[in-house]
Amino acid sequence: MNRAEVHMGHVRVSGNGETLTASGVGSCLVITLYDPVHRIGGLAHAMLPPASRPSGRNGHDTKYTDAAIDDMLKRLSARGADTRRLEAKLVGGANMFPDLKSDIGEANVASAKEKLASENIRLAAESVGGAIGQSVEFCSVSGIVTVKKKF
Amino acid sequence: MTAKLENLSSAAAQKASEALSKLTGRPAHVEVVRAEIRPVTELVPAIGPEEVVVGVCLPVTGDATGASLLVFPKESALVLADLLAGREPGTTTALSGLDESALKEVGNILTGAYLAVLADASGVWLVEHVPNLTCDMFGAIASQIVAGLAQEDAEALIVEVEFAFQEPVLKSHLILFFGAEDARMIFPAMALA
Repeated sequence: MNRAEVHMGHVRVSGNGETLTASGVGSCLVITLYDPVHRIGGLAHAMLPPASRPSGRNGHDTKYTDAAIDDMLKRLSARGADTRRLEAKLVGGANMFPDLKSDIGEANVASAKEKLASENIRLAAESVGGAIGQSVEFCSVSGIVTVKKKF
Repeated sequence: MTAKLENLSSAAAQKASEALSKLTGRPAHVEVVRAEIRPVTELVPAIGPEEVVVGVCLPVTGDATGASLLVFPKESALVLADLLAGREPGTTTALSGLDESALKEVGNILTGAYLAVLADASGVWLVEHVPNLTCDMFGAIASQIVAGLAQEDAEALIVEVEFAFQEPVLKSHLILFFGAEDARMIFPAMALA
């Protein structure tokens, strides 16, 4: 089965059995969306919450959680997914240096949950927060998300 | 490596060698094997994103905002901790609080040496802050720093340096992260990149 790594700030949607991966996720947030009837899904590797977007900056930049979700919804709809049936999973949003008191990870998680709620998308599972990195594998056919940690 | 970057790196290596020799009480030789300026998007492939590393991060402020990240493969960090504590290399299997403090000090030394020569060369005032240490996947550690800079600038740039500590030789990467505009102010060699 084909595998495709989704790098920071990028989104990929697949309906052909691809496994989508994101390696070494820290404060970034991986958002997966899956349509269990059409068996297609997408993975976004977002970096930042929308609140950190500079004024005047392109609102479609998929490094931001809201724009990444919008982009996935658009692509999934174009491939025939029923957005009313989508289920979401979240991985990441850590703070790798707790002493630095960075709130990027936490804000990523909060903003993604807010966006999903506003789109009426059910959050099926999450592995978020803490101070540990995670790697993600998303099977676009089954919707199964596998999380790997080194510790 | 451009000639200018090579000269800066050699000067930083000399400063770091002297400071590390004092810290360890034995001759330490720091050699800059490679120095490059790259877009951050090309950073993670330089070190495997899932490679477990010990990272020492120091925020940098002053006339520019950025961060330094000293990265050791976990095994190298354990050996270096032994050397710093005067133990036989290979003794340590897990870092103690004292070991972490010693590795943070190495981060201070190497970052301070490199920032000092960059500041001298560019006239840009740079201040390093308290080091923070973590051990995890390189991608997870580096991406948080990149994300922090991406809030201000989407095109941050890095300098990557390998240091070798002799007898035994220990390799590490020192990565300096600055936003694109700050990098152009700090690295005159940027014009050649």
